[in-house]
Amino acid sequence: MNSASLHQFSTLTVILLMIAFYGGTYLLTLSIRKKKEDADAFMVSNHRVGFGIGAASMTATWIWAASFYAAATSGYTYGVSGPIHYGLWGALMILFIYPFGRRFRRLAPNAHTLGELIHARHGSSSQLILALSNLLGSIISLMVNFTAAGALVSVLSPLSFQAGVIIAGVGVLLYTLWSGFRASVMTDFAQLVALMAIAVVIIPAVFFAMGGPTELVAGLDNLTAEQANFFSMDAILNQGAPFFVAVLAYAIGNQTISQRLFAVNEDHIKPTFLTATVGYGAIVIGLGMIGLMALTLGVEPLNGDMNNLIPQMVSSYLPPVFIAAFFILVIGSLSSTADSDLSALSAIMMADVYGKNIARGKADPRRMLLVGRITMIVATAIGIVFASFSLDILVMLVFVGALWGAIVFPVIASCFCNRVTNAAFTTSVLVAMVTFCVARFEWLPMTGVAGLGFEFLASIGGGIIIALMVFGFLGRVAGAIAGLAAFVAMLVFATGFLREYTVLLASLTAYGTSTLVCVVMSLASRERFDFDTIAERVGNYDAAEAVTVADERPPKPAPAGLATQR
Amino acid sequence: MTLLFGFYVLIWPALTLGVLLLICRAVARDRREAKKDHRTLV
Repeated sequence: MNSASLHQFSTLTVILLMIAFYGGTYLLTLSIRKKKEDADAFMVSNHRVGFGIGAASMTATWIWAASFYAAATSGYTYGVSGPIHYGLWGALMILFIYPFGRRFRRLAPNAHTLGELIHARHGSSSQLILALSNLLGSIISLMVNFTAAGALVSVLSPLSFQAGVIIAGVGVLLYTLWSGFRASVMTDFAQLVALMAIAVVIIPAVFFAMGGPTELVAGLDNLTAEQANFFSMDAILNQGAPFFVAVLAYAIGNQTISQRLFAVNEDHIKPTFLTATVGYGAIVIGLGMIGLMALTLGVEPLNGDMNNLIPQMVSSYLPPVFIAAFFILVIGSLSSTADSDLSALSAIMMADVYGKNIARGKADPRRMLLVGRITMIVATAIGIVFASFSLDILVMLVFVGALWGAIVFPVIASCFCNRVTNAAFTTSVLVAMVTFCVARFEWLPMTGVAGLGFEFLASIGGGIIIALMVFGFLGRVAGAIAGLAAFVAMLVFATGFLREYTVLLASLTAYGTSTLVCVVMSLASRERFDFDTIAERVGNYDAAEAVTVADERPPKPAPAGLATQR
Repeated sequence: MTLLFGFYVLIWPALTLGVLLLICRAVARDRREAKKDHRTLV
């Protein structure tokens, strides 16, 4: 992996950079460390995290190492519109979740995970489906981030890939282990400031060093007609559309987002998520422009590896100090996501697994903390092992993506409609997973009636994605009209065509099937749910903390400590 | 075209800088409020 064409740091320099980064981050966490942490703060701080820290944390968490590499790859592959088709949809994942997030927060102001809310709404089976999808997602994310650390270290220094993986894993665990989520959000701020400051300098520096706008425009001749077209259908269908489909799924299926929804001051959810949307989009699209610059200059990625594009450009045009800054940029982005994943995993194990399904309402906060910390250690070890052996996680990724798509409608409908039942939730997700596999792995030939049937389900999926997005911002009527229009448009334009795009067809089928089954089963049920009971069932685990929060929130139903409930 | 492409590339770091300043100001305000209320920032 090492290459003479890229600037090489000495082993000592890289180790010093890593020690400076992780040592500085660790020292920062000492400023918030309590001798006796409590379980609730370990998972969501005090439910009153301010706008600044909240927005910084959300942005830093959502930017992982792959964001830069993939955005640059997109710019290099799809040309002018490439960085937008990566960064914009990623940013919209943050934007589109906040209207639903406000609803989640209103229903369960003292929740720690979305799973707790679903447990109070439906019971264990639905909650565990959600928890499982969150667990798998965070493990994958952890592994990808550690892998990125290993790759970066091995590309820029004589150190091995495994050494990079281990240093990053241990470094992140070290500063997150004691204070959990509190350490994660606090360090996210510092990491984001470094990350943004470096991005602000590096993007124009590379741009002007390569010759500026004149050189960029002159290089447009190197682009194909599709790459030079801002409205390239190639970029839309291959990069934008699959991302667009995943917008809601990634947000719902990710505990790192839910955790921040439950942690920030309720009045600040909107500005926090809006700022994070702009921040994420600006950084990622900006760094994606380096891929576009490489394309216009006719640069070939070193060893054919697209991940080398940004380091290659930085190495070619800027002095070593900028390469060190780029190194910190990537280490900062992957560490902020990895610490959030550790906090998310620990919260799921503490609240969803131990609190709801093992202790069953009689959770001991001290034991919860132990569960959380052991989870972090085990998750780090799993992440390091998976990353070190470069295990193929493609199948896992495919299933997690499908699971996230399948749960979107049942989760959102469960929070707005009192007729959705536990059976409808669980069955719809399971049936959706089966139909997803049939389409994704082509267990049935997608021709004739089968092809038409799956395109019909996918059209429902396309309709429901648009309906939910519009509903989040404009309400039920607008959502229904937009969804219906999208469904009809999909029927007209996708029939006989979508079957050629297996991944897209399968993803949309998962959405469509879960929606159809959930709606039919819920309409057939006579059950009606009282949403007010959720706030009573989901509370803080530390009783004293619960009383404090209840005192400060007079208009809302006072939550009881779970230790004293049921 | 030159101006347009220059703007297209440089608008993103400019936006990043704007968000960075906004977040730093907000955190400073959060910090002041937390200090006033005798509680930690997180």
